[in-house]
Amino acid sequence: MTKPKVAIVALGVCSGCEVTIVDTDEALLDILNAIDLCHLQIATDFKYEDIPKELDVAIISGNIRNEENKHIAKMLEERAKIIVANGSCACFGGIPGLGNLWRNENLMDYAYFDSPTTENPDKVLPDAEVITLTERVYALSEVIRVDYMIPGCPPQPQTFVEVITALLEGREPELPNFNLCEQCERKRNAKKMPTIRRWTEGVDDDGETCLLEQGFLCYGPATRAGCGAICVNEGNAPCIGCYGPTDQVVDQGAKMIGAIGAMADVAAQEGEADDPEEFAKKFVDPVGWLYRFTLPSSLIKEKREDQ
Amino acid sequence: MSEEFEPNIVGFACNWCTYAGADLAGLSRFEYPPTVKLIRVMCSGRVDPSFILEAFARGADGVFIGGCHVPADCHYQRGNFKAWRRIEILKKVLEQLGIESERLRLEWVSASEGQKFSEVIAEFTETLKKLGPSKIKGGVEID
Repeated sequence: MTKPKVAIVALGVCSGCEVTIVDTDEALLDILNAIDLCHLQIATDFKYEDIPKELDVAIISGNIRNEENKHIAKMLEERAKIIVANGSCACFGGIPGLGNLWRNENLMDYAYFDSPTTENPDKVLPDAEVITLTERVYALSEVIRVDYMIPGCPPQPQTFVEVITALLEGREPELPNFNLCEQCERKRNAKKMPTIRRWTEGVDDDGETCLLEQGFLCYGPATRAGCGAICVNEGNAPCIGCYGPTDQVVDQGAKMIGAIGAMADVAAQEGEADDPEEFAKKFVDPVGWLYRFTLPSSLIKEKREDQ
Repeated sequence: MSEEFEPNIVGFACNWCTYAGADLAGLSRFEYPPTVKLIRVMCSGRVDPSFILEAFARGADGVFIGGCHVPADCHYQRGNFKAWRRIEILKKVLEQLGIESERLRLEWVSASEGQKFSEVIAEFTETLKKLGPSKIKGGVEID
């Protein structure tokens, strides 16, 4: 039996998702034995022209941020039978997707002139040879067909192994379709949230009670499980929602607002909560938190300006 | 030739108070602009924030949510409070996304307040006329 031809390609991405592939330990040996690896920028010296005309699987990480990303993505769509989006950037747009809150000109200005660590008295910008940015950041699925998703920033090794092993065995990959709270080990007494505190105020976290009950924003109620809730269970830090929403949800941020509203009201019934306006005021940078990983694939997608 | 801008409002009205209030406005022949498309929901607490965002994404100029008066009118006891909290947060989100928070309006209208319903819609329509069309023209593609 010939081995399936696989290309692992990174687009607009930090390459952390590729590091996850190495992080799969012994499972990696089985996977590498079973596939014919045609392309992996981070580890091998293949060029784009080495990608064969017919591929079985393309594992793509990263969003579409410039015209080159778009070109490569469309090329892979034509050549590959199955396309797997690897990591939250590919699945939902990822952290770079927050760039959609500014126009490209603002981003360039900040990067080349205005940021505190930049000294550029002659106002030099990269010249026209540099690849042009797309109008905004796109999630992979907005531009090409995506057959399977491996969410996470970066995906946990077990998620990657599950999806790839399933494809090799010819079955449908199974991602958990419930929320992160089910894997969380913290104690929940009542589903209530009396106030909003930033994690930087978190000196008095007791390490046992649900973070939301203590008023810390934790994305558990609106995030897909599958990582084992490591941030909360092992890291003593709130979930930031990197696994994205479950299958039933259109807009992760909207779902979380729904959850926060309900939990705050439970606390209010016991006379513990701030009043609604006060409560909302304490929510600093709501888009940055609610859409940290999903802005390009959310309903509104970008900051709207007069056209 | 320039026609006057007619805003397009999506309204969510709770079955027990606002929808009945709107009904009463009609029965009593109170006039209000034909700008609002009312959708009956069982409770303002049933209005998921994604409904509101989707309305804006599909090109609505404004979204109106009507519920029972706080603190004690809600048929399901606390639905109106939940809606209130969600909408306060949602307004901040909309501002950050470049959509004016005045385009989202939450009002308490009871079943006996047909007059108030017609006034609120007239007033909201005026606000939206001043703001002009939504920046999301023609809506975005939703998959």
